[in-house]
Amino acid sequence: MSDRAFTHAIWGAALLVACTFFWLLGDLIWRGVPHLSWQFFISAPSNAGRAGGIAPILVSTLLILAVAMAAAIPLGLGAAVWLAEYAQHKVALGRAVRLSLDVLAGVPSIVFGLFGNAFFSMFLGLGFSILSGGLTLACMILPIFIRTSEAGLSSIGADWRQSAAALGMTRATALWHILLRAAAPSIVAGFILGMGRATAETAALIFTSGYVDRMPGSLSDSGRSLAVHIYDLSMNVTGGDAAAYASALVLVLLIVAINSSAFALSDRWMTRRITLS
Amino acid sequence: MKISAWCKPMIAVFGVLSFVVVAHAADRLMLTGSSTIAPLALEIGKRFEQQNPGVQVDVQSGGSSRGVADARSGLADIGEVSRALNPDEHDLVAHTIAMDGVGLILHSNNPVKSLSDDQIRAIYIGRITNWKEVGGKDARITVVNKAEGRSTLELFLQHFKLKNSQIKAQAVIGENQQGIKTVAGNPGAIGYVSIGSAEFEEKQGTPIKLLPMNGVAATVENVRAGRFPLSRPLNLVTKGVPPALAKRFIDFARSRRVNDLIEAQFFVPVER
Repeated sequence: MSDRAFTHAIWGAALLVACTFFWLLGDLIWRGVPHLSWQFFISAPSNAGRAGGIAPILVSTLLILAVAMAAAIPLGLGAAVWLAEYAQHKVALGRAVRLSLDVLAGVPSIVFGLFGNAFFSMFLGLGFSILSGGLTLACMILPIFIRTSEAGLSSIGADWRQSAAALGMTRATALWHILLRAAAPSIVAGFILGMGRATAETAALIFTSGYVDRMPGSLSDSGRSLAVHIYDLSMNVTGGDAAAYASALVLVLLIVAINSSAFALSDRWMTRRITLS
Repeated sequence: MKISAWCKPMIAVFGVLSFVVVAHAADRLMLTGSSTIAPLALEIGKRFEQQNPGVQVDVQSGGSSRGVADARSGLADIGEVSRALNPDEHDLVAHTIAMDGVGLILHSNNPVKSLSDDQIRAIYIGRITNWKEVGGKDARITVVNKAEGRSTLELFLQHFKLKNSQIKAQAVIGENQQGIKTVAGNPGAIGYVSIGSAEFEEKQGTPIKLLPMNGVAATVENVRAGRFPLSRPLNLVTKGVPPALAKRFIDFARSRRVNDLIEAQFFVPVER
């Protein structure tokens, strides 16, 4: 194959991907914007979501995501650190953990939904609640988050660890001040992949956080997520398409906002890498 | 390591935890089941909440089978079941709140005007696979069937005396709107969906058309009059006699005060 054809193929592939995305986004904006207004963000849905807004659904979505993050980030970072830094001496166990994480990452989300319903909702008695929805999502995003973070930590050269040890740093200090920060780009990438999957999730949530579209009063209330709302409006509620497009547009904006703030935070964290204390 | 770096997340976690431990509304009703009924039950629930301050009605979705199971196990106070109860479900009591007709739909470009019950049966079991065999164009038939556990499927199988294992479907779908969109996007498709929704979509210009059954046009009017052969009750089911609050809700859902809500979801209020 000539170099020229190769270049064209690469450009073609990139353009095709970009076009698909912009077509999708264009369609969303074209059909969603007319239904969008300030009122849409601050009022409750009425007539099964065809009219009114999405305020309670937006709040529920953010709460579900917050629960998922609060559970997944510390657990996930811990597991990633163990795999990358502590598992060298337990090769078999490390391999078993990695294998099970890779299998879990490929499990369809409805399976997580049924597990969450059985474990969090029924067994732990959390019922249909934002808490069980968020924890189910945490289970779902953990595998991908752990494996990406671990890859980031493992890619840091051994000389960093040796230098830290030579400077008399404890393992924990080296991890917190140097290694985790150096791996921040991977950790953020894992976080963004996980959050994207969580924000777009319906199957795992319909049986855990549920269908109720009231403003949640606490984390033990059932609350409908944006993705569930969009699915219901487009697949179940006759005449709900306009509201579904507007909600989908809001969902895309939400994901963009979460991703950019994740990048901004990690930038800040990384520039503060070297501090004297 | 700085203490303050750990402090902030800890405070946040405790804040979240304390938010969890908030007292529930004193009177709470839980409904689960049919995705067809869920949007209607949600709207009825909102009106009920308005008229009964302090009461909270939580409506969940998931399918009629779930409604039966949850009403039975006591997980839900009321199950939503969009079909008549089966003989083996006599431990439950059904309270019909509305009727819904189920009609067969084709793409509007399909020249076929009507199909007999036998032809429909033959199409669904894969004996007829081309539209020209029933007077249409030379084109393959795409059979759209409903997923297991959906009431429309059970009603369809019952009416046409079929078993789900006999059906050779090219597409298996869940909700009504999904059925309408599948058929609207495929000129060779045949499917069956709620008549009210299909009628609305047809008026909106979605390229589908409803087929008459046994010569009776598939209209909401004919469902209301009880003339259309394929129709089903939308039921709220309870295990035995419901407790006071559930009974009040069911009485409310069966009263004239919710007729406008039933019609807004394209269903037919029952004669009272």
